[in-house]
This record gives sequence, C-alpha cells and structure tokens, in this order.
Amino acid sequence: MKNISPLNNIHQIGKYGDFQNVKDHQIIKIKEIKNIFIYQLVKFKNSSKKNSDLSIQSLSFPNILEVNAKNDLRILWMGPNNWLIFSSKNIYEELNKNFSMNEFAVTDISHSRSIIELEGLNVKEVLKKGSPFDIESLKQNNCTNTIYNGITITVDCVDQDLNKIRIISLRSFGESLYHSIADGCLEYGYEGT
Amino acid sequence: MLYIKCPYCGIRAQTEFAYGGDATVKRPELNKEITDKEWDEFVYLRKSLRGKHLEFWHHISGCRQWFKVQRDTTTHEIFKTLKPHEEL
Repeated sequence: MKNISPLNNIHQIGKYGDFQNVKDHQIIKIKEIKNIFIYQLVKFKNSSKKNSDLSIQSLSFPNILEVNAKNDLRILWMGPNNWLIFSSKNIYEELNKNFSMNEFAVTDISHSRSIIELEGLNVKEVLKKGSPFDIESLKQNNCTNTIYNGITITVDCVDQDLNKIRIISLRSFGESLYHSIADGCLEYGYEGT
Repeated sequence: MLYIKCPYCGIRAQTEFAYGGDATVKRPELNKEITDKEWDEFVYLRKSLRGKHLEFWHHISGCRQWFKVQRDTTTHEIFKTLKPHEEL
C-alpha cells in the first residue's frame, strides 16, 4: 500500500509571498518531512527502570524539554516518562525487544503526525505570530509542546545556526497548520522545497 | 493573559492549560459506607470562594500532566503550583 503524506494536497514546490523583495538566503524554506517512523514510548508507574539508564541504539533518553539525536534517530521529551522517537528506519521490533511491555508502552504513530520543517532567518518571527511560547529561549536540540493559532504542536529545534525548526502536529490538523504557517511566512517570502 | 508555572515545563501561557476544578475536594474512602447526601456533596457541591483557592489545572497542550495551582480568584495572582501528590 502506498503511503499518502499528510500534506500531499497542500504543500507545493515554488516561491510564494514577498520573495522578490528579499535576498535568496533570507527566504524561509518550508519542507514536509515524510516517510519517517515515529514511535511513542511511555514508561509505566510500576517500572523499576531509571530514566537515566534508558537508551536505544546507545542513544540515551533526553531530560526535560530536550532532544537527544544521533544520525537518523531523534528522541524528544514529551512529558514525564513520555518520549517520541523519530527514525528513518523501522525500529519497532527493536523497541519492543528493549522495552518490556510490562514496564513500557511502545506505539507506532508514524501515520498520525504531520511534520513541517522551516529553515531561514525569520523562522522564529513566524512562530511568534501564533504561539505564546518564548521561542527565543529555544536552543539547539530543545523541544516543547505548545500551541500555534489554537493548534497543539510540538516544536523541535533541529539546528540553531541554520534556524531549522520542525513543527509536529496531529495529522488531522496538518493542513490547517500549514495554512497558518504559510500565512505567517508570506511577508518574508517562502519557498516550498 | 494569565501565566501559569507548570511544575514540569516552567512558565507558560494560560492558553496551553485547561481548568480542572476544585483540588480540595476529597473522594470518599473506598468501600466506606456513605450517605446519599455525602455522595451528592462530593459530586455536585462546590464552594465559590473569593480569595485563595486550590485548584486543578491540566497542561493539555504541553506535557499533558495534571497539577495543583493555588490562585486568588479575585486578583488571579498565582502563589504556588504543585505536583498532584504534593500538599501545600
């Protein structure tokens, strides 16, 4: 079966907004991250494991509001004893083997999220338009759950130098969120890649 | 806008939270015989206090955790936030 990406009908390649009045390197790049595996890992209250002892592919689990990343694996802190794992490979079996079902819940939620990646000088300004979170406090490999124009999102700062930020939302809110983000980008000019 | 300090994530805007009711109400003990009146009071009756009030809030667009907030219902000043198992 072929996977249809959440933003398949809306994300378009090309330049939009006020791109003619800005230099090329200042245009915000919008990209959809697709064909990625997403797993939710929840530790049960009765688990005897310490969070500091947890790891997958020798990558330890992050602390509050942080991300631990290695190659094509990213682990995001979602809440106490709750993480999201992003991987370009299917690691469901590996997770089930490493995390006993008596102490952890591993759920494949790859098809239930949409991911928009923004890159450019004014990315934080775009986020400030719709989110009450103090975006300037977001450093590299920080993440947080917050809202954008009423939509619950997860913000993942992938690269601080490049101003590269991923915005993750429920799949059903993906198109609506994309509209909001694209609207926010218009004044800076954006390029769908 | 009201700013609430989530015990897990730090200070966030009120729009990320949902109000969860009075945190001083105690559920009757399990298997204890109680009258209909006591049950009715537990389920329905709430005080409408003016001043300091302990209430539950849910960080619904954040870490999804419940916690307690001590808030002045007149001025909206927030004095303290606690994890659910913590007492004032």
